[in-house]
Amino acid sequence: MSDAAIITTNNVNLWYNEKQALQSVSIKIPKNRVTSLIGPSGCGKSTLLRCFNRLNDLIDHVKITGEITLDDENIHAPSTDVVTLRKKVGMVFQKPNPFPKTIYENVAYGPRVHGVRDKAELDKIVEQSLRHAAIWDEVKERLNDSALGLSGGQQQRLCIARTLAVEPEVILMDEPCSSLDPIATAKIENLIERLKEDYTVIIVTHNMQQAARVSDYTGFMYLGKLIECGKTGQIFEHPKEELTENYITGRFG
Amino acid sequence: MIFTKKTDSAVTASKRTARLSFLKEQSVKTIFFFTALFAVIVVSFILLFLLRDSYPIFAQVGLPNFLLGPDWAPTAMVPLYGIFPLIVGTLLVTIGAMVFAVPLSIGCAIYLSELASPRTKKILKPAVELLAGIPSVVYGFFGLIVLTNFIRVSFDIPTGETWLAASLLLGVMALPTIISVSEDAISSVPHEYKEGSLAIGATRWQTISRVLVPAALSGIAAAVILGIGRVVGETMAVLMVAGNAAIIPDPIWNILSPLRTLTATLGIEMGEVSVGSEHYSALFGIAVVLLVITLIINLSAVAILRHLNEARAKGPARKPLVSSATKESLSRFAEVIGIALFLIFLLAAAPWWLVALALLIIGAWYFGRDRLSQKHIQTIAFGLVGLATVIVLAILVIILQDIVINGLPAISWEFLTQPPKDLGRAGGIFPAIVGTLYLVMGAIAIALPLGVGAAVYLVEYTREGRITRIIRTGVDLLNGTPSIVFGLFGFAFIVLYLNVGVSLLAGQITLALMVLPTVIRTTEESLKNIPQSLREGSLALGATQWQTISRVVIPPAVPGILTGAILSIGRAAGETAPIMFTAVIFSSRFLPDSVFQPVMALPYHLFILATNVPGSSTNKYGTALVLLLLVIGFYSVAIFLRTHFQNKIRG
Repeated sequence: MSDAAIITTNNVNLWYNEKQALQSVSIKIPKNRVTSLIGPSGCGKSTLLRCFNRLNDLIDHVKITGEITLDDENIHAPSTDVVTLRKKVGMVFQKPNPFPKTIYENVAYGPRVHGVRDKAELDKIVEQSLRHAAIWDEVKERLNDSALGLSGGQQQRLCIARTLAVEPEVILMDEPCSSLDPIATAKIENLIERLKEDYTVIIVTHNMQQAARVSDYTGFMYLGKLIECGKTGQIFEHPKEELTENYITGRFG
Repeated sequence: MIFTKKTDSAVTASKRTARLSFLKEQSVKTIFFFTALFAVIVVSFILLFLLRDSYPIFAQVGLPNFLLGPDWAPTAMVPLYGIFPLIVGTLLVTIGAMVFAVPLSIGCAIYLSELASPRTKKILKPAVELLAGIPSVVYGFFGLIVLTNFIRVSFDIPTGETWLAASLLLGVMALPTIISVSEDAISSVPHEYKEGSLAIGATRWQTISRVLVPAALSGIAAAVILGIGRVVGETMAVLMVAGNAAIIPDPIWNILSPLRTLTATLGIEMGEVSVGSEHYSALFGIAVVLLVITLIINLSAVAILRHLNEARAKGPARKPLVSSATKESLSRFAEVIGIALFLIFLLAAAPWWLVALALLIIGAWYFGRDRLSQKHIQTIAFGLVGLATVIVLAILVIILQDIVINGLPAISWEFLTQPPKDLGRAGGIFPAIVGTLYLVMGAIAIALPLGVGAAVYLVEYTREGRITRIIRTGVDLLNGTPSIVFGLFGFAFIVLYLNVGVSLLAGQITLALMVLPTVIRTTEESLKNIPQSLREGSLALGATQWQTISRVVIPPAVPGILTGAILSIGRAAGETAPIMFTAVIFSSRFLPDSVFQPVMALPYHLFILATNVPGSSTNKYGTALVLLLLVIGFYSVAIFLRTHFQNKIRG
């Protein structure tokens, strides 16, 4: 890959109890690009994604070996504060998970926990984030309504706004459209397109067309291994590995 | 959005705040750890103090003589400290209560889970919970006035205070526990089992009796064990109706004989004993024995239920707790024992026509069951199940209407706002109402922070491991401890050792310890109901763990926590045994000036009126009604909150 890397993994192995979920995965994620991870269910793509903000820490009996660096700093180093790491690496989940609070409070939550108290500044951040996530016009009249009243697609964009409000460097997206209808999906995909100007986006998807549409780079994973990784066009048109070609052409998966 | 380039000083500053917030996180976690540890500390203190104060008697008469000695005569010229008759008494009352309660509860549970329409269920379940909400002293009062009288007249004996009365009353008190846990067990049998059975042409009753109930058997067993635990640990009700003669019934199946249980002995004698005497130590010895018995009972129930939950989590291919062969022989054995016990009961006491009827039914069943069509069997079975439910409801209605009808005339402005006169025969119960409110408010003020803290630690801060197991066992032990044992502990530790004296504060602390497990459990439940995705969402934004817990997890859990708190208040308000030796006086014209003074309390007032003050029937009933309304009021608020909250989460 020619672009400068923001995240690099080197020989990462991960076990849930005795079961190995990742096998010596080495990948470079280029800065300010969209990278997608594809592969059949259970291939470890979501697990890899959750390594980048150390969300796997929450799960019992997980063991990780190997090295993951963000901006050349080892994210597992004792000097790394996991809270600071997660502030730099935001995440959008498979199912929209707005907090049971108002729309405003959902977006303001991140800045608040990071110490922003000034009301005017919060207002500004909330509006900017909602605009950036292309949902401002739909919710500006009802910022104080519960976020749970929004549609699934709106909730997901709200969750993206919530992530943007913390000004991360990287945004992880774990099948962000899997529970959405085609129209909402199109909106999110457009959004991802614009996000890469300011952010690095890593998206896990089981939808190959989506990967082809939105990403600059694509990694194909199978049974916990990274089989192949490269420019999206190359992966989809001239895959080097037979496994990749079989998957892309729909022979399994 | 534009990234601002951070200067070097900004980076150092952010590092410093990171360090600070790390320290804060650690200290918050430590605080929660200690609140969680508190339950374990309390349990060890209870054990320690009971053992300390009972040691002299064990040293003097020896454990075998204490447990198996045939005579309990602590105030005789030559005092005898043998608790064998008390152990037998406890055992007999429990057996009697179970013979009465188990068939009724299982019938009612089957009705609730399989036959009742959703609307009927909506009415019946709160009714059963109401039965659980009636304070034990109110049960005792009802038993003393109505039930013993009924038994005296029906069997034409000099007094109705008998084993039979105690067993019937305690059976009623065990009903709600057994019903709700068995109902849970039957309802959570996988739906596929039921469909599978119905699909091969089995009748509904065949499906219930051969698939659902056997599949739920471990849960039902746990329910019965919990019911037994409730009966063994009960003090006030049994003390008021059992007659309390420390004898073994002669012959052993004479259900019309009076008897005395371990708990009743503590309730009666603890107030009159001189501190530090042999007798005092013997009472603590009884408390140790009682504690050991109830702990074994409750821990085995907890173990069964936990085994069930884990099995359920692992999926349908689970190993049965007992093999089918053992199950078969067990049920055969239980059948024989059940019939034998039933016959003994009948022979001992029942009028001849009841014996004849019972023999007729058993005979008809054995000879006729192969000739009846499945449809008829189903009709009979559903009839019996319905009958069980009707009986349970009838019991509730009889108790409530007796107390409401007789209590209403006593209720007046004066009754509610004046202090008592003439030993409570006249005047009001104002100081008792206020005293009870003081007691429960203080108790919850102590128990809520500790309980919520412990639950937060258990759910949010730890992974399942040795430490959580120890803490959970501590909570289970505390939950299974009989209320009278809390009373003794409160007296030995808070009143005497800490030198707080018989006071409001001592009562508040004792009640707080008693309700702590309830607060912990309900809080744990409501925290576990908060979806994990919310926690991940918050952490992924870079919130610290404490920020996530305090801002995202706890707020939506508040209604659930509140429900638990109010349930605990209701329970504490109705309890007599824990405050009897720690906080209350019978009569006081004034309200306490400080927490170091004793107070009046409704349950204790009712207890003394019912047992020690002849006459004053109206005021007794009035007190019972006020106490009942107070406790049921708290329970209704809690039940309402819970349903409201559940609907909100679903909708």
